[in-house]
Amino acid sequence: MEQLDPVTGEPVAIAYEDVHKAFGSHKVLCGLNLLIPAGKITAIIGRSGTGKSVTLKHVMGLLRPDKGRIYLGEEDLTAMSDKKLRHVRNRFGVVFQHAALFDSMNVYNNIAFPLFEHTRMRKPEIDAKVAKLLAQVGLSGTEQKIPSELSGGMRKRVGLARALVRDPEFILYDEPTTGLDPILAAAMDELMVETQASRPGITSVVISHDMHAVLHIADKVAFIVDGLLYAEGTAEFFRDHTDPLIHQFVTGSLDGPMKV
Amino acid sequence: MGLHVGVIARVFEAVGRSVLEPIEEVGRVSKVFAFGFANVFMRPLRIRETLKQMEFIGVQSLPIILLTSFFTGAVFTLQSHRAFAMFGAQAMVGGTVGVALTRELAPTLTGLLVAGRAGSAIAAEIGSMRVSEQIDALDAMAVDPINYLIKPRLLAAIIVTPMLTAIYDFVGMFGSWYIAMYVLNMSEPEYMKRTQEWIDWDDIWSGLLKALVFGAIIGTVACYKGYYTKGGAAGVGQATTSAVVVASVAILVSNFFIAWALP
Repeated sequence: MEQLDPVTGEPVAIAYEDVHKAFGSHKVLCGLNLLIPAGKITAIIGRSGTGKSVTLKHVMGLLRPDKGRIYLGEEDLTAMSDKKLRHVRNRFGVVFQHAALFDSMNVYNNIAFPLFEHTRMRKPEIDAKVAKLLAQVGLSGTEQKIPSELSGGMRKRVGLARALVRDPEFILYDEPTTGLDPILAAAMDELMVETQASRPGITSVVISHDMHAVLHIADKVAFIVDGLLYAEGTAEFFRDHTDPLIHQFVTGSLDGPMKV
Repeated sequence: MGLHVGVIARVFEAVGRSVLEPIEEVGRVSKVFAFGFANVFMRPLRIRETLKQMEFIGVQSLPIILLTSFFTGAVFTLQSHRAFAMFGAQAMVGGTVGVALTRELAPTLTGLLVAGRAGSAIAAEIGSMRVSEQIDALDAMAVDPINYLIKPRLLAAIIVTPMLTAIYDFVGMFGSWYIAMYVLNMSEPEYMKRTQEWIDWDDIWSGLLKALVFGAIIGTVACYKGYYTKGGAAGVGQATTSAVVVASVAILVSNFFIAWALP
């Protein structure tokens, strides 16, 4: 029977079951249980070093858990070979924290790269697709620019265009607004919401420290503390919660159980 | 009692770590070489990227190879002539320089120059791609970084280093001939005769074989150091320095063992 996410009531797209991960003696995930609903935006929040990025890398198969299972629908990612995992990655688009654009390529080639690598699309089709995506992210005409000529916000938007170029089922945002000024950050939030609205069925996972953005865009919020799921709920649930840990994190207060 | 056990455990941990770390490093280096090489015939073949790397490692190294090879042949001829003149054996200069160049100097100096110029650049490029998450991005786009980044560089270094060595041989001998004729005023027929008598095809082939190994060392070490870069800009700097040092030492040490093994 299809598992439903208790927060959104939607079918579960990704499920983490008792996932453990350590780097040497440093334990990052300590039995994480987390459900990501299909077709919604899920935000994973938590302090730096609590394992948010590690959580994201596991679902791509870029890291394998020491213990536990991760399911993508019915498929067990932890039991897959590297070759099969690479195949699964075709279903994902990732927006990296610092965009991770290829320095040696211009904007056009950065966006078209996954198409050149994995499809037999003809050049005019690729040109049209790149132009359409650039228009969607508000960067028409920048095809020939190289990444060093772009501002931080522009780089992130090119990163988003690259992530969307193969029409992925899942899109993962790793701190998409880090390093942007409040206006650019708001524009990026808007772009994420528009992306979600314009692509019905796409499942988005956002890692962020930006509580304003999280509460604005997320259908579900998961709060990770010390490698474990501490709380999950809707944005309203987090906004109004009186739990000292949640309240301190949401309000960004220095007073509370979490120490600097 | 507990304190003693703790101290002993820490000592064992430190000893264990100091044994395991070099073994792990050798394992990782071997993996880079083996996976990179095993990928040679795997699709996509990356022919264009390999040619681009050959242009970078080979063609762009030509000026420095031409300059150093000419002067290596020239200075070696000058010094040998002085030494041989003490017992009237100046005629042997051409052959001596030829054998030394083809067997030792050309492959070794080419290897060191390529390690310094291209090895450092490869480590820096891949290292900066690692720290800026570009390698993670490749992985995320289902593109194998070994196939895309390491294979073309490794293959290019292996192909191009012997080619540069052959050029080093030729230009080095030209430098020797030029000094012998126009500075030392030696007899050309005598110089050519001795050179042809002394230099064997085996000398040239053994030098080129060494260069092949040195190319594999440079490609592997530079890609390995870049691929496993940790930290930010400082990590890239360390990877670059370390790539040049490790590749240079490996070239000099392996040179001895190859020379020992070859006839």
